[in-house]
Amino acid sequence: MFGYVEPDKPELKIRDFELFRGYYCGVCKSMGKRYGQVSRFSLNYDLAFLAVLLDSINGEKYDVRIERCIAHPIKKRCVVRNNRFVDYAADMNIVLTYYNLKDKWSDEKNLLGAFGSAVFRGAFKKVAKRHRAITERIESLLGELDRLEKEKCSSLDEAAEPFANIMREIFQCPCVESDDSRKVLGWLGYNMGKWIYILDAWDDMEQDARSGSYNPILAQFQYDGGDLGEFKAKIKERLDFSLTYSLSECEKAYALLGAVKSTGVLDNIFYSGLIMKTDKVLQGRCRKDEKESV
Amino acid sequence: MRKNPYKVLGVKEGASYDEIKKAYRELVKKYHPDRYRNNPLADLADEKMREINEAYEYLMKNAGGAYQYQSESYEYDNSNASKGGSYQAQYQSQQSSQYQGRQEYMDESEMERQVRAHINSGNLNEAQRILDRMRVRNASWYYLQGLVFLRRGWYDRGYSNIQRAVSMDPANYEYRNTLNSLNNQYYGYRQNPYYQNMYRRDYDMCQICGTLWCADSCCECMGGDLIRCC
Repeated sequence: MFGYVEPDKPELKIRDFELFRGYYCGVCKSMGKRYGQVSRFSLNYDLAFLAVLLDSINGEKYDVRIERCIAHPIKKRCVVRNNRFVDYAADMNIVLTYYNLKDKWSDEKNLLGAFGSAVFRGAFKKVAKRHRAITERIESLLGELDRLEKEKCSSLDEAAEPFANIMREIFQCPCVESDDSRKVLGWLGYNMGKWIYILDAWDDMEQDARSGSYNPILAQFQYDGGDLGEFKAKIKERLDFSLTYSLSECEKAYALLGAVKSTGVLDNIFYSGLIMKTDKVLQGRCRKDEKESV
Repeated sequence: MRKNPYKVLGVKEGASYDEIKKAYRELVKKYHPDRYRNNPLADLADEKMREINEAYEYLMKNAGGAYQYQSESYEYDNSNASKGGSYQAQYQSQQSSQYQGRQEYMDESEMERQVRAHINSGNLNEAQRILDRMRVRNASWYYLQGLVFLRRGWYDRGYSNIQRAVSMDPANYEYRNTLNSLNNQYYGYRQNPYYQNMYRRDYDMCQICGTLWCADSCCECMGGDLIRCC
């Protein structure tokens, strides 16, 4: 995942922001405790969001502690502890990071990828033991993604399918008891995955056009090497439709989920954070490397 | 087990009629079957709607407000909701009326009927298989193909197929209706009140300076002055 899921900070109450950060720190500490300190470097916002979302369905009280941590040694911060959804998000972060690094090594011969995947292998094996079914399905979906990219698939919808399905798998957390909730979460995950994939493809378009590597948007709309700005302007509306429609489906699923807590931050993300991010990326005002930290 | 109707509507116990009514309307807007067309979660939304209607009915009757409730009954029809959404009923009737005019393509229209049935029951692979077998690629083929794509989550292709169906047969009410509904979902999400309330109303420094400068120029035109130094 790429860290596109963010709250719209200026609109957030301090209390809600603290809560969101509490989950973020919770996921980070959970990883550190179970998989070693190095694994903590890989965390991004999306997984913290997943922890908040999954935990919002059950009515149990938050177990929040106020602690110090290595990254913020001066000021103590809220940390959500002893929470199975936070642990689950931490596990999924390990899985995604491991595959991402492995992919970097095999595709681009990136040394960081080789080094990173070696570091994460141990942690990944632990997670794979715990969540065997999910990791197996993710692996086969990644194979499909790879195949479509190698074939230079010329349909954006088709190319986005494996990644969207990976997110569906991840969101359908087995710790959630109700079948209906899992179904809703699955659809939410699918649409969010789709949104992330398209947004990421848009973000990478310039780079891919220069280097000539595969990009589903360039492939679908048959970019001929002309002016990229013009090309972007021509297709923007159409992509905007797909992106916004996916988000509207996420929002509908969220409405059916019936969150009983953390609604402040979740409402903010679903009704404002995601669409703001879409506009920012579509206007080219946000590159991936400009991500803020909490 | 019956849920607490106050909780279902999200109001405090002992809330007034107006509060209940307002909460009810908000919820109807949120879970309206029109919003969940072509959506795999439509059955859950219907379930939710039924719960909301039951809770509302219960509160209106048991608080002694039966009379008021009847006179104010909302446009969302309760009887339809319990059968699975007003949309479904409307959909069925459109469907049947459409086929009456097309007796000559018996086998094709039979296939179309099957495709619709599969889409409704969520069996997309089967629907796609039949669509692939059909020989005539007319407006209704593109429409059905669009529906299958939408239901799958392939919005880009779904939208272009529906658009194509509309351009091939602009007079068809159903196709236009679906296209409009897609556009409505798009604008509905973009213009949600949470997002709209933000920044738009605030003024930034540039705007303030610009406005002052304008006001100053106007005053100067009339022979006065608003800001002395310029």
